Amino acid sequence: MRYAIEIKNLNLYISDRHILKNVSMDIEPNTIHVIMGPSGSGKTTLLRVINRLIDLTPNIKVSGEVYVLGRNVFEIDPYTLRRDIGMVFQVPNPFPHMSIYWNIAIAARLNGVARNKRDLDEVVRWALEKAMLWDEVKDRLNKYPNELSGGQRQRLCLARALAMKPKILLLDEPTANIDPVNARKLEEAIVSLKNDVTIVMVTHSPHQAARVADSVTLIYDGAVVEQGAASRIFLHPSNEFTAKFLRGEI
Amino acid sequence: MSRWRDVRDKLFILLVILMSAIALLPLLHMIITIAINGIQTIARAGIRFFTDIPPPPISRDIGGIAPSLVGSFITTLTSLPITIALALSAAILSTEFPSNPLSRLTDILSRSFASIPTIVVSMFVYALVVVPMNRFSALAGAVALSLISLPYAYTSFSSALRSVPQTYREASYSIGMNRWQTVIKVFIPIARKAIVVSILITFARAMGETATLLFTVGRYRVGVNIDIRAPTDTIPLLIFDFITTPFKVYHEIAWGAALVLLFIYIAIFITVKTIVKEVKL
Repeated sequence: MRYAIEIKNLNLYISDRHILKNVSMDIEPNTIHVIMGPSGSGKTTLLRVINRLIDLTPNIKVSGEVYVLGRNVFEIDPYTLRRDIGMVFQVPNPFPHMSIYWNIAIAARLNGVARNKRDLDEVVRWALEKAMLWDEVKDRLNKYPNELSGGQRQRLCLARALAMKPKILLLDEPTANIDPVNARKLEEAIVSLKNDVTIVMVTHSPHQAARVADSVTLIYDGAVVEQGAASRIFLHPSNEFTAKFLRGEI
Repeated sequence: MSRWRDVRDKLFILLVILMSAIALLPLLHMIITIAINGIQTIARAGIRFFTDIPPPPISRDIGGIAPSLVGSFITTLTSLPITIALALSAAILSTEFPSNPLSRLTDILSRSFASIPTIVVSMFVYALVVVPMNRFSALAGAVALSLISLPYAYTSFSSALRSVPQTYREASYSIGMNRWQTVIKVFIPIARKAIVVSILITFARAMGETATLLFTVGRYRVGVNIDIRAPTDTIPLLIFDFITTPFKVYHEIAWGAALVLLFIYIAIFITVKTIVKEVKL
């Protein structure tokens, strides 16, 4: 298995609207792949196909193939599939009824990462450290997420996703709704995770993509405009649209 | 111009306060009347009001409402688990599978059932439970109360579950929870305040039902019955029967019973307000 994710000729319709148009993409393991493009170009939809959260959208029609870790996502149970794929959403959504500790512990317990209290404690600490949140919350693990700032909540969501020990991590514009300081911390955390997981991140910011990406796909109006190694695309885009997007003209 | 706007604003606020006061006045008057009359009765009877049975019609002794008080709790508490189990299951079905034909049928049935006269339900349960059992019973009353409470409980449980933002469904699916784990570990706990409030209001409404129980519980007031298969009585039935008699002592008992009922409502309201904590999103 050379690629962690392989997408072949993916077409997706929502109520007969053609949202993704013949998208193909290969993502190598343990890299950060950034999907970028203007708002409304289908980036989030593409991300949600990978872990089949798109199933929650009514009236969808899909054709093509999507392989995650060698398995066709449309042929396996979505709940089993999602146990290998963590996700952080655009708006932080920690469980409001669970303490900071349990927000993370539940992900570990559900996925069999830790069963007893001692193992859970270890995983919670590990995930919080990886998400660069441990120092800020270590004395209030039994408090609720509503006491955290937006950026801290988003890092809590990253810790929750990591506690599953996923093989793939999907990040849907994770810094879009948080302040620059927290955004920088989150970016640092993301880059440091590369050795453990394959990361697919959606962003509309070329600057952020340039900072973190190993490889890039630019999408516009549901179709792939250009893709390849980040270094090549940012230095020598082969497409005029890509060049304009990177210059911030689109 | 701005002065006229100020005057208009103040007039509007005054009007709103006045209308609110008018709306509250009958309620306050009712509470005060029940309190004054009820306290006199309970003060005269003392603790026996809660432990004794009602006296014969021509009596100076007030006695008590123990059979009705115990019967009210037994009937309502028996109906509550039936109502919660059925209404919560139906609410989960309709929120999780909104386009399923069974969900739609449940929705339509509960809406139409809400407007069925309670006395008709009482008659139906009489034929369904009382006649085959060959006796009135708390169980028959509980079945009738459940049928009456179902539409309200279903509607309020459904809206409580629907009020949970879908982003938490995405979060729980993304960490590998399945649909049922999402409902039980995420949706119900987040909506717990609304669900508990609905349960307590269902309980309070059931405690106050009268016509539903006319042909089911049997109005047994000569002793306290705790067997749900045996006849019993409830406070609203006692009030209904006693206030329509010509006997002064029964009128006094009815006022005392009304105060007890009012006290139960207030206790439920305070419980809702103080004990159940809302999940802060």
